[in-house]
Amino acid sequence: MSTQEFQVNYEKKGLPSTWLRNGLIFLVLGIGLSAAAYFIEPQRALINGVVAYMFVFGCGIASLFLIALEYIVGAVWSVPFRRISEFLAALLFIAPVLALPAFFNFHQVFHWSAPEAASDAILKAKAPYLNVSFFVIRFIGIFIISWLFYFFIIRNSRKQDVSREQFLTKRNITLSGAFIPVFAILISIMSLDWLMSLEPHWFSTIFCVYYFAGSLLAAIAALTFIVVSLNERGYLIKGLTEDHYYSLGGLMFAFTNFWAYIAFSQFLLIWYANLPEENFWFINRMNDTWSYISVGLIVLKFVMPYALLASQPSKMNPGRLKLAAFWILGAQYYDLFWLAIPNYYKTGPALHWTDFGFPLLAIGVIMTVFCIVARGKNLVPIGDPKLKRSMDFHL
Amino acid sequence: MSIDYSLEPSIIEGKPGLASIDSTIAAPMETRPNKNFYMALSVTLTMLGIGAVCLGYSFYYGMGLWGNNNPVGWGFDIVNFVFWIGIGHAGTLISAILFLFRQKWRTGISRFAEGMTIFAVMTAGIFPLIHVGRPWLDGYLMPYPNQHGLWVNFTSPLVWDVFAVSTYFIVSAIFWYIGLIPDLATLRDRTVDKIRKTIYSIFSLGWRHSNRHWHHYEMSYIILAGFATPLVLSVHTIVSFDFAVSILPGWHSTIFPPYFVAGAVFSGFAMVQNALIFVRKIFNYEHIITLDTLEKMNKIMIATGSMVGYAYAMEFFIAWYSGSPLETFVFVNRAFGDYAWAYWIMVSCNVIFPQLFWFKKIRRSIPLMFVVGVFVNIGMWFERFVIVVTSLSRDFLPSSWAYYKPTLYDIGILIGSFGLFFSLLLIFTRTLPVVSIAEVKAVSDGAQPTHHAGGSHAE
Repeated sequence: MSTQEFQVNYEKKGLPSTWLRNGLIFLVLGIGLSAAAYFIEPQRALINGVVAYMFVFGCGIASLFLIALEYIVGAVWSVPFRRISEFLAALLFIAPVLALPAFFNFHQVFHWSAPEAASDAILKAKAPYLNVSFFVIRFIGIFIISWLFYFFIIRNSRKQDVSREQFLTKRNITLSGAFIPVFAILISIMSLDWLMSLEPHWFSTIFCVYYFAGSLLAAIAALTFIVVSLNERGYLIKGLTEDHYYSLGGLMFAFTNFWAYIAFSQFLLIWYANLPEENFWFINRMNDTWSYISVGLIVLKFVMPYALLASQPSKMNPGRLKLAAFWILGAQYYDLFWLAIPNYYKTGPALHWTDFGFPLLAIGVIMTVFCIVARGKNLVPIGDPKLKRSMDFHL
Repeated sequence: MSIDYSLEPSIIEGKPGLASIDSTIAAPMETRPNKNFYMALSVTLTMLGIGAVCLGYSFYYGMGLWGNNNPVGWGFDIVNFVFWIGIGHAGTLISAILFLFRQKWRTGISRFAEGMTIFAVMTAGIFPLIHVGRPWLDGYLMPYPNQHGLWVNFTSPLVWDVFAVSTYFIVSAIFWYIGLIPDLATLRDRTVDKIRKTIYSIFSLGWRHSNRHWHHYEMSYIILAGFATPLVLSVHTIVSFDFAVSILPGWHSTIFPPYFVAGAVFSGFAMVQNALIFVRKIFNYEHIITLDTLEKMNKIMIATGSMVGYAYAMEFFIAWYSGSPLETFVFVNRAFGDYAWAYWIMVSCNVIFPQLFWFKKIRRSIPLMFVVGVFVNIGMWFERFVIVVTSLSRDFLPSSWAYYKPTLYDIGILIGSFGLFFSLLLIFTRTLPVVSIAEVKAVSDGAQPTHHAGGSHAE
């Protein structure tokens, strides 16, 4: 029918030149400040490095999850934005580099691997899981598996730009079906290994879901920020409507609530039962200056995004969406910081000037990788069979 | 069979005319039920009668008739309560959350699923009321100033349950009724019977299908959907708190809230799918409640079933990882102890069988999906049994360990709850439109501007 007549109203353009430049500035600044931090406060810098790593990894793998989700649920409205998530998923290739400093100072970051841990009865019981060689195997395995899925799904999607063949969509649906259960396992292992095991005595069954919720929120926020910025300057397909914006805003709003639900469940149950083997994790975060950081988390990650996105017009307003997206990304970094640092600095200081180089590093990495991967490529999947329907999308 | 992804799939098959949609959906209300209906109703009423007799005996002689013993103070009554509350969740998910997600395929099934929600919550509500042992004192569950100076324990999740479940019931019922108003008006306009016309006129609140009416209707519908969405989560979250705020190993687990919600949606969808298979066949709704719709429901079942499977695995792993001998014992005992049979029924029905839905052939085969749906409901009932009973029967003090065995009275009350639920459901299919007439019209081909080639909107 009308598929043949449908003209894709998209003109291929390179990204704004300032993006790569700014990304590189952030990257250089971030590397400089984090290197300085490492020489001044090595222990703190290493943990900050873990925070930056988990932030970038989360954005990358959750972007790949978003792509898979679009395929498997047959979503239509999100098709013009899928390419942006595909570029962000390439963060999976740079993420292991950010993890390297922790590997070179393994005992300092992962106390369960330190020689003193051998005399700890609980840690000895955990040794079949928490040991260095199995840890490294898991780390490598997670990346190889996610790279394979990235490689196949993204290759099919790009091929479709030229060939426009429908079977590529079908093939990606199958791949996505396989990826989603695998993803659940990969992200659980990663969050358990790199965040929960920082406090090796502590445990919580919901913790991996917590990290998933935050990472998915960050991936949606990064996508929204980039889509709105590019669309304002006419880099994307013509004819995107407020309904597309509304859907992005709605997703951010929904997952803000989802994160809050998971966070509240974890807190309430541990606080209410008050068992000494798990409550100390929250007590550490309610002491001294950490109590302010903890209250700040509720305000920054729940109250503010909620207020920014609650009303219907706000989800369609480009300026508001960009602000909310930027805010949520910052809040996700703050959240990961709150998860990691108090394990090592139980009485503070909650904030130290050396902490601030690492978020710059993370942003620099994301911007630079995005610009390099996107160079010379279509920013919209122009061959996707669902694209026409997506342009007709209305709520 | 290849799908053309560039075309929007039809939600209603065969392009029925507007009048034919009216008459198809209104038919059960305008004709006399046949013999099969009365036979089915007599079966369910008999089941209800069995339950009523067992309950009557329990009231007369006391709760000693039940299998509850000293460590296992929560037996079938709480298992059934959680099970039925869970069944109710599919309805609100379909009517509220899928509405907010603009999932148009929900229209064919939303009314029926909402009805099931209301009946399931009614059935569930009986159990905490009889569980207290002296049902004539149930009024004290509601906090009100009284001359005894007696107040409920506000820090107990059992009291939160009272608020959560009653709010859920009220909002679901209002949501259901608001959706019914345009359809009641349609029925009013069609009927010639004077008594019916009066009843329909009263309950359709003077609806005349005017533009202004629709405007208000859609506004209130989306607001109610917004209200109902957190309720879907909150009700089963609070039911999970009944267990999780305690310090009992096997109950105290931070993943319980989302895991319970996923399980509730899972079992609810299985029940709705099972019932719809009959409804669409008997009332000739096969073009409205299409095979595609059932397939989508099966997909939701595999998603939620896998979430439940994830939670089982995570609980098991963390029980070991925690290094706490109590936790580890409880989980090993679940899988290999006295109740291992219940545990493996739960795992196979909830996690293994739903994986069959990865195959399109099975997802689209009516008999097979029915069987899997039944398994899911069995599995989800056993999940609650495993959680409630295994943890209690092996508590901290080995000298007080005991094996819980339900008595005939417990089983009779369980049968009675099914009887109540299905009796209400059967009566519902004959008294109210089980599919939303107005909404089905709005999603049939040609009703939306984009269905016409070249239709553009002003943007």
